[in-house]
Amino acid sequence: MYNEIYDITLKVKRYDPEAKRTWVQDYNLKAGRILRFTDLFRRINNELDPSLAWNSSCEHAQCGTCAVQINGKPLLACELLVENAVAQFGTSVFKVEPITIAPVVRDLIVDLEQAYDRVHKAKPYIIDGAKKSQAQAESQILPRDLERYVEATRCINCFCCATACISSHKGFLGPNAVMASIVRLMDPREQAREERLDLLYSEEGIYRCHTSKACSFVCPKEIDVAHFIALAKEGKFKT
Amino acid sequence: MTQKLKISSTLRCDVLIIGAGGAGLRCASAVLEKKPGTHIVAVTKVASPQKSHTQTAQGGMAAVDPRDPIDKPIYHMFDTWKGSDCIADQNIIKKIVEAGWEQAVWMENRGMHFTRMEDGKLSKRTFGGHTVNFGESSAFRCVFEADRTGKGIMDNVWGESIKGGTTFINQAVVTELLIKGDRCVGAVIFKQKEGEFVSIVAKATVFATGGNGQVFKVTTNCRQNTGDGNAIILKAGLPVMDPEAIQFHPTGIVGPGILASETLRSVGGILRNKELEPFMEHYAPKMKELAPRDLVARAIETEIREGRGILNPDHNIEHVWIDLRHLPDYVHDVEIPEVSGFFKKFINLDPKKDLCPVRPSNHYQMGGIPTNENGEVQKNPREMVPGLFAVGECAAASFHGFNRLGTNSLLELITMGKFAGEKIIDTLGEDVPDAPEDAGERSFSLFSRFMEAGAKDNLGKIREEMRNLMTEKVGVFRTEQGMNDAIEGLRELRERADKTVLASQSLIMNQDLIQRWELNNLLDNAMVITKGALNRKESRGGHFRDDFPDRDDTFHYHTLVHKTEFGDVHLEKRPVDMSLYEAKGEHYEKFGIIERKY
Ligand SMILES: Cc1cc2nc3c(=O)[nH]c(=O)nc-3n(C[C@H](O)[C@H](O)[C@H](O)COP(=O)(O)OP(=O)(O)OC[C@H]3O[C@@H](n4cnc5c(N)ncnc54)[C@H](O)[C@@H]3O)c2cc1C
Ligand code: SF4
Ligand code: SF4
Ligand code: FES
Repeated sequence: MYNEIYDITLKVKRYDPEAKRTWVQDYNLKAGRILRFTDLFRRINNELDPSLAWNSSCEHAQCGTCAVQINGKPLLACELLVENAVAQFGTSVFKVEPITIAPVVRDLIVDLEQAYDRVHKAKPYIIDGAKKSQAQAESQILPRDLERYVEATRCINCFCCATACISSHKGFLGPNAVMASIVRLMDPREQAREERLDLLYSEEGIYRCHTSKACSFVCPKEIDVAHFIALAKEGKFKT
Repeated sequence: MTQKLKISSTLRCDVLIIGAGGAGLRCASAVLEKKPGTHIVAVTKVASPQKSHTQTAQGGMAAVDPRDPIDKPIYHMFDTWKGSDCIADQNIIKKIVEAGWEQAVWMENRGMHFTRMEDGKLSKRTFGGHTVNFGESSAFRCVFEADRTGKGIMDNVWGESIKGGTTFINQAVVTELLIKGDRCVGAVIFKQKEGEFVSIVAKATVFATGGNGQVFKVTTNCRQNTGDGNAIILKAGLPVMDPEAIQFHPTGIVGPGILASETLRSVGGILRNKELEPFMEHYAPKMKELAPRDLVARAIETEIREGRGILNPDHNIEHVWIDLRHLPDYVHDVEIPEVSGFFKKFINLDPKKDLCPVRPSNHYQMGGIPTNENGEVQKNPREMVPGLFAVGECAAASFHGFNRLGTNSLLELITMGKFAGEKIIDTLGEDVPDAPEDAGERSFSLFSRFMEAGAKDNLGKIREEMRNLMTEKVGVFRTEQGMNDAIEGLRELRERADKTVLASQSLIMNQDLIQRWELNNLLDNAMVITKGALNRKESRGGHFRDDFPDRDDTFHYHTLVHKTEFGDVHLEKRPVDMSLYEAKGEHYEKFGIIERKY
């Protein structure tokens, strides 16, 4: 089982910001079964073409830096094993493209900073914390309260969901940014409920969502993003 | 074809934070909380602060709950001292340990979701080396957020920094420190997306650039941990402390180097070699798999060296097995689901049925930029550099000495981040001089040299060779001969790197250019690690000399390593603070030079 070698072709969509040129470049590699796509990108750099630009940080599915589209599906390149990719997509030829949520800077690297602007807009923090009865006491959240939204705290802002979302490009804050606000509405510590509701029900908010559930389907952290958006749409948080 | 490099713009701010991980942003939050409206600029190499390495810490954070009927801060101080192999600084240990709980509370009041039990009490875990009553039994003092404590902390301090109005500059590297007279006045950064150099003038500059794990072949650290902080400090003529103090975790998962936590061994996992022999009984007949981290790491490394390892062909890495097959389903499903999940996800193995490959992996730098208890950077054991601070893994105060206990790092980030933040507030009234005339020149000449080199080689390959060399010669086992070889090897690699042509001359998001720059930093780190290790003719904590296997208290000091040229260093000693011992208070005798036996 340890000696399988796959012949892999990566058809990588490239972009040169200076020449403003886009093209597809093929890379052929022999790859062991448990190499991940980030390992393949590094192999390309070390053996074939040091100019290919791609992004990663933790390389074990914890930070959401390495999202790309493989044969049209947004996913984390650092957790996609060669052997699984071949099985999942039924081919050894893979189209590799950047995610579509922000302009491409070069090759597979997009301007995540612009994508993050939407998360910042959703205020990923407690705007106004509950007044503590005792100055030094911690804010207890009982497990049963946390259970309602704990899943959403796993979000690493990889923007896979936003890439998959058909409404996400113009106007809509996008599934993960909206969820960043919803999760804090569900957090008993948050007092600034009105402000959050205003954003959620604004032009950029949840009414742009068509409940297609593509977000939940692609989330590498297996978060049912659409469920949280649906709660907001049902008006569950209105007081 | 060389482009004319220049400073595109100059920015002024109150506080410049270099490295927006847990430590850097805890520091920013502390300043903003006390002095709202302070203009803080936080620079990070990654695409967003949330992509920093802190995000990946899983286990938890040590903090003694004052309401705990059994645990006490003094026990935590003792464990840290003993764990450090008696070379951490006691003033730092006391200050950090005593501040721990307040920091946990601070975070929970601002969005952290510490795991709690049904009755609402905080859940607590035990971790290796943490005990009550001076080693009597395991202490439950680690608070955690499920399997993502680091992410919780990162989200928390990132959120607080956004809320306070911090300006973030992402995907940018700091390339040079600005020093005027004696004072630090800011830094030069290179913005990767724009391909521009910007000079930032600040009243206080804080290094929080994290570790240097990428020096070694298999590491649990993220891709950006190339020791830039150490390298920039060395270039500015300042010292790095105890660089040889590196921690290797015994069980990294082969390939990605993901941490397979000690829990695997504590629930009964058995380490086996190529012949499937359970080899730990030869190294620690009593404790076997439960022996301390460094001992287990050396045992595994010995098996591999003596030909009893297994080669993983895909990653070309040798390893041993951890056998979890005999454990009941309950243990797999309830006690170790996360780590089990890693084996499934990253190597397609089912630990219930398959042997799983692990090997010692680089994990943590205990040394770093020398500071005092407020994170102020030292230029020698007596003097500070005004305006310059360092916190987090890149800094050494020193809380961990030569061996860090699990969960003590997150504690250090948030406490030292806060202390530095509070100290910085004192400096905000000062006027800061303009950037020196030659700001950027050193970066330009460096980048121009990268651009001008013309030999065909591959920087990625050179980096891999360096990582192999360091793992083999300056890793878990070190000898004089091996380290002399390493120094030679590093010189050759540096020469090759200097000649190697870049893939492209573009300044915009040129990954090869940044990795070229990082390679210099890695080589500088590798060199001072090796020089420090060569000088320390004893074994202590994570630093193990085959030729000097015992601790030797003539080396009971911190080493400050100054770099002159590549490969030439000048060493200085910094005394170890023994104030807990010297105060002769209750239990003072526990803080003398004691044995590190478990
Ligand atoms: C897998 C793993 C698990 C761990 N688990 C635990 C645990 O359970 N408990 C515990 O206490 N500790 C743990 N640790 C250790 C702990 O996570 C780290 O020591 C800590 O997160 C380091 O934080 P930091 O803020 O110092 O640096 P980082 O979080 O690494 O942040 C560094 C920042 O500096 C930036 N940077 C670096 N260089 C430059 C440059 N040149 N210019 C600009 N920016 C730069 C980076 O982009 C980043 O933003 C773990 C470590 C690992 C590897
Ligand atoms: S919800 Fe899931 S897919 Fe979307 S950003 Fe968060 S982790 Fe990624
Ligand atoms: S459910 Fe809504 S947010 Fe999710 S992908 Fe569909 S439209 Fe987008
Ligand atoms: S690199 Fe962090 S998720 Fe892939």
